Amino acid sequence: MIHQTQTTGTHTRRHFLASSSMGIGSVALSWLLKQDPLLAKDPAIRPELVNKHFDLIPKPTHHAPKAKAMISMFMQGGPSHLDMFDPKPMLQKYDGKKFPGDIKYDNAAQASSTVLGSPWKFSKHGECGTELSELLPGLSEVVDDIVVMRSMHTSVNNHGQSIYAMHTGRILAGRPTLGSWLTYGLGSESENLPAYIAMVDPGGAPVLGVNNWTNGWLPSLYQGTVIRPKEPRILNLNAPPHLSGKAQEKYLDFLVKLNQRHLSQHPGEDDLSARIASYELAAKMQTAATEALDLSKETKATQALYGIDVPESAEFGKRCLISRRLIERGVRFVQIMTGNQHWDHHNSMRTALPRTCKRVDVPSAGLVKDLKQRGLLDETLVHWGGEMGRLPVIQNDAGIAKQGRDHNTYGFSMWLAGGGLKGGMTYGATDEFGHHAVVDKVSPSDYHATLMHLFGMDAERLTFTRNGAEQSLIDRQVNRIVHDIIA
Amino acid sequence: MIGRLFLAYAFSFSLCLSLAQAADPAKKTGTLSFEKDVRKILKVHCLHCHGEVGVKEGNLDLRLMRLMVKGGDSGPAIVPGKSGESELISRVVAHEMPPEDKHMPQAEIEILKRWIDQGAQTLHPEPEKIEADYLAPDDLAFWSFQPVKNYPVPKVKNSKRVKQPVDAFLLAKLEAQGLSFSSQASKTSLARRAFYDLTGLPPTPEELKLFLDDTNANAYEKLIDRLLASKHYGERWGRHWLDVAGYADSEGYNTRDAERPWAFRYRDYVIRAFNEDKPYDQFLREQIAGDEMVKPPYKNLNPTDLEKLVATGFLRMAPDGTGSNPAEKEVAKNQVVTDTINIVSSSVLGMTVACAQCHDHKYDPIPQNDYYRFRAIFEPALDWKNWRAPVSRRISIMSDADRKIANGFEVEAKKVLAERTKLVNKFIDRTLERELLVVPKEKRELTRAAYKTVSKKRTKEQVALLKSFPRIDRLSAGSLYLYDRTLVEQSAKATQESKELGKTLVEKIEKETLSKIPEAQKQIALAAKKADAKKRTEEQKKIIAAYPALLVSVSNLAKFDPKGAAQIQHLKDEAKRLTGLKTVAVLKKYADDAAKIRTKKPKEEFIRVLTEVPGKVPKTFFFNRGDFEQPKHELLPAGLSVIKSNLKQSVEIPSKNKTLPTTGRRLAYINYLTNGKHPLTARVFVNRVWLHHFGKGIVASPTDFGKLGIPPTHLELLDWMSHDFVAHGWKIKRLHKMLMTSTAYMQRSQRSNDYDQVDPDNLLYGRMPVRRLEAETIRDSIIAVTGKLKTDLYGQPVPVKEDEVGQIVVGIANVDTAGRQKKALKMDDRQFRRSIYVAVSRSKPLAVLDMFDAPKMEPNCEKRASSTVAPQSLLMMNSGFMLEHAAYFADRLAKERTGNKSDQVKLAWILSYGKEPSAEELKQSVEFIDLQIAQFKTTKVKTNKTPEQLALATFCQALLSSNGFLYLD
Repeated sequence: MIHQTQTTGTHTRRHFLASSSMGIGSVALSWLLKQDPLLAKDPAIRPELVNKHFDLIPKPTHHAPKAKAMISMFMQGGPSHLDMFDPKPMLQKYDGKKFPGDIKYDNAAQASSTVLGSPWKFSKHGECGTELSELLPGLSEVVDDIVVMRSMHTSVNNHGQSIYAMHTGRILAGRPTLGSWLTYGLGSESENLPAYIAMVDPGGAPVLGVNNWTNGWLPSLYQGTVIRPKEPRILNLNAPPHLSGKAQEKYLDFLVKLNQRHLSQHPGEDDLSARIASYELAAKMQTAATEALDLSKETKATQALYGIDVPESAEFGKRCLISRRLIERGVRFVQIMTGNQHWDHHNSMRTALPRTCKRVDVPSAGLVKDLKQRGLLDETLVHWGGEMGRLPVIQNDAGIAKQGRDHNTYGFSMWLAGGGLKGGMTYGATDEFGHHAVVDKVSPSDYHATLMHLFGMDAERLTFTRNGAEQSLIDRQVNRIVHDIIA
Repeated sequence: MIGRLFLAYAFSFSLCLSLAQAADPAKKTGTLSFEKDVRKILKVHCLHCHGEVGVKEGNLDLRLMRLMVKGGDSGPAIVPGKSGESELISRVVAHEMPPEDKHMPQAEIEILKRWIDQGAQTLHPEPEKIEADYLAPDDLAFWSFQPVKNYPVPKVKNSKRVKQPVDAFLLAKLEAQGLSFSSQASKTSLARRAFYDLTGLPPTPEELKLFLDDTNANAYEKLIDRLLASKHYGERWGRHWLDVAGYADSEGYNTRDAERPWAFRYRDYVIRAFNEDKPYDQFLREQIAGDEMVKPPYKNLNPTDLEKLVATGFLRMAPDGTGSNPAEKEVAKNQVVTDTINIVSSSVLGMTVACAQCHDHKYDPIPQNDYYRFRAIFEPALDWKNWRAPVSRRISIMSDADRKIANGFEVEAKKVLAERTKLVNKFIDRTLERELLVVPKEKRELTRAAYKTVSKKRTKEQVALLKSFPRIDRLSAGSLYLYDRTLVEQSAKATQESKELGKTLVEKIEKETLSKIPEAQKQIALAAKKADAKKRTEEQKKIIAAYPALLVSVSNLAKFDPKGAAQIQHLKDEAKRLTGLKTVAVLKKYADDAAKIRTKKPKEEFIRVLTEVPGKVPKTFFFNRGDFEQPKHELLPAGLSVIKSNLKQSVEIPSKNKTLPTTGRRLAYINYLTNGKHPLTARVFVNRVWLHHFGKGIVASPTDFGKLGIPPTHLELLDWMSHDFVAHGWKIKRLHKMLMTSTAYMQRSQRSNDYDQVDPDNLLYGRMPVRRLEAETIRDSIIAVTGKLKTDLYGQPVPVKEDEVGQIVVGIANVDTAGRQKKALKMDDRQFRRSIYVAVSRSKPLAVLDMFDAPKMEPNCEKRASSTVAPQSLLMMNSGFMLEHAAYFADRLAKERTGNKSDQVKLAWILSYGKEPSAEELKQSVEFIDLQIAQFKTTKVKTNKTPEQLALATFCQALLSSNGFLYLD
């Protein structure tokens, strides 16, 4: 059987784990590790009535994977592609003039048809010469390692539906999120950390709240685990000081004895074994999670790389650094969230957008640099993006200071790095005003098919049976793998 | 944010999949048929545009084989025998059909091809005519739509094992597989099983003893009778019903998730109904149409009428955002209607009627028209065009007599307030006059006149004039209190002036006096002034007599400067007068008096009901694609067509019952559902009762008795029980007793290899399952063993709050307007009430319940999951709730078995497991406690507990975290 032995000397859980030799480990873990379809032997008994077991042990893929883990920075609200990623000379030319076409507005009360040229300068960076605006000095340093996708679209003009499209493939509520599909399809590389982690912002969860990391109708095993923005980062992780350590170990030892005797009276009850194992795993998690969340071992230089030394970016930087530590330890999918409508710059864009960029620019670029220098970037897919972009025209034309841009789900940008992707390129294009994606359009399903492909999975073949139908992340929508960006 | 931080990194999970995978026809050999293999594929992908509800795009109807051959505008859809020449196949293969992003899976295309190539066979002759709501014969023949049959009780070989007729049905199937029931469970197992199943609480040591010591043959039966009579029975079984009803104390729908006051009366109604053993048909009638059985106006309600109205709270359980200013109001209203239909159909009918909202049901024979006929039953009460917000639809339950008393007090309070208003006006005038003093004299009269003019009637000049004196302009009853501050300032100023003036005048006289005294005597004079009056020398006395003004002070100033003294007095008086003009305290007294009078009013309370507005009968329309902005034809109320067709009797739900003030639609519908002939009503409920006793239903999908549900493992048994249930007056307690005294229920739960070989999932009921306690039961049991459980019934929900680390706990929230935590308020002993009384907040689920799979009411719960995840273990190990209750448990042991560890362990065992520990268990437990005492003696962390207390608490915690406590065997 597969049973990791702790070799580092000081783990407080050693004593508890040693009790595994009594057999608890073997019973429980072998139960956890077995992949037994448990099909009934009597043909009269319908196989679908059987209790199916789900687990997180690593699963074989459809083809050789390039990516093994993913860190997604979800920029909820709609970062303005026109001011950050997608330079449009026509915008500057028409700045202040009437937009020569049709616009799909969200907020009619503040709509205007006056074009707003970007107030920020774009210039070429890196060997590849990708153009980015001056709002992104950090990212400009890693352009050779990233793909800027300039042709994303969801085409449903509000936050909720677009978030669902980006997370779950459909604009409807109730479906599993990307992280759930990945952990369902691939399992976890970690025995003692959650496979799917959602890191919530101090500014609160994004629009749709817990639905950003829901398992939908997949078993709850595949739900994202929340790491809180403040201590305690994981609830109930540790006992109060007077009960932790030896006292808790002895309590767990005694509990094992009670449960073993109970199990011996109910041999073959998987759920009882599973609960015994869940205590063992909980205890292991205490050590593992505490260690993974502890940034004190990271050098000053590493911390600076993530902008932790700068007040504006420290908080986001810490979460980026924790993400790296988590995927290093085998976590499959980490999503770092920005706060509720953080990027929804309907108003006062000239002051608000630079402030928002300052929070995330250096940390997100630092993450790419750090993963690269540690040799982790090849196997780690990094994603940065939101659910929409912004319109080429002014919203709230009440003086320069108050101007903003309204929602635009017809064309927007995001960037990806690592995990088997090419670096130093842009992909796709919007029209000359940046309103609609027109060249090499990428839908959420295209994006999902591509990243599942990088993980060695055929997104349409990774299915879950529900209501008698095979369900997938793609859900029978037209999709394509964007091979042009794959190395 | 929604405010719920999930901690669900799960490591293992087992789930009973209630899925009906269609048997894989792609692998099926032999001849395919339209009815069995093809129609269902077309139903999912094609019929919505080609056949249903009269829609025939391209003039193509695919509902019958012959119509497919006939084809549409593009010619025949299929050519039997030649899939290669069939238009249908080429369109599907080319992804032209179905349109937009949907495409048909390859496996299904293969079936269509094979069926065509085999000659496009049908099993039966196809009908000549086909109507919009066409139901195919094979759909009508589905098992759950057939009338309930009174099957004979089967004969079995081992009739000794048959205690109840249900045993015979089960045993017959077991014997067919060469199996039998397991042996009877131990008395302690049976006790625990029965206590938990009927009350959701562990037996107390006394109750347990009563049963164990009873050696009579009917001891167990008497136990069941006692438990059925327990007031806690209603709490336990009420909770099951509240799951399907979707009970919550918050409105849900949007992130505001407003509080839902008075919902608890419905919860209490449900608990009472179970405790009173209200027959199920009556229970349903009251919940669906209680209001139609009470004569409006709904006033001075007698208890029976009140109960009927409260029962309709069932139809008010859906999430409802219409009272919290939703972004899209019409969407919110229609969502309430949709969710209510969903709740009714899933809980009572066991059908997913909701699936037919936008198109014909893809799997069950429910045409989209049926959905809107069903909606028409409820629409007069849930009229989205004349919507009543939650506040305006509740009913006050104050009696006329109480209201009269209340009105009397109100009149009294109003009188006091009228006096207050008079005073306010007087104070405003007074303040105005004071403020006018700063206005230049020549403008005063104009300003006063401007102020006195009603603001709308003021001339431009008046407005401008007042603008230059904002203090006058802004003066009003509302701002009057602010002028108190001016008075205080003015008064302070006068006081200060009086002090300064006093000082100046005294100094002046002192100076003048000294200047009159010859230089030689000045030192004596100064010394005399300083010296204590009693200790003055003769010389000093003399000089004072000569110059009395030497002793001048503010208090005797009048003697030397009467005019100055008068000035000072004037200032002092002014200060006092100004303070005396303050209005706040005076007015507050009047307001307080009025409030005090109002507290004497009898408190007005409400019930949440569903009622119709007599005389207002909305039309119900078919909504194209479920979109309320696309109403099409009108539909009249009716139940499901498929059942009506099978019943072969006319079941009318008139649009208006002329004998009632209301439409009578719901009453007619529920009378039909409970007439004993409806195929689903009794089956669905009996199946639920079975589910809660045996861990799974005979139909394992309790809210889906349709094609995607799971067929019954024992149809004859389900029908026999349903028939028996109706024949004996829909009595629920009788049903419990029948099931719980069966051999099947009284079996052991241990697995055996031989049995597992044949029936590993126990579908034949050859043993009892091992079941984990539900969320509420776990929490209630933990509180019960500590001895702190409060056993009172009913009432306002116990509040929940977010604690300082973001977990939802029982407690009174104390958060400021910016959402910051203020000082924690002490919670009273309501924290020890049963979980059914804890507020069900959709956005703030109590952490300990949420963790153990308490349902999320969106809108209701079909069936609970039972997960096994590591966060549950962390909660047991480290949560405040567990540690606190483990300590209470230890306190109880220490108190009731002082000083004797063995006795403490024994009591703990009985309380937690319902039995005595074995010698070995006792020894190990005492050893563990001793080990922990030694451990805690070495700890340097300070606590207010002794090592003995801490050790005993960790022992208690271990018992409460153990499988023996968390599972029923």
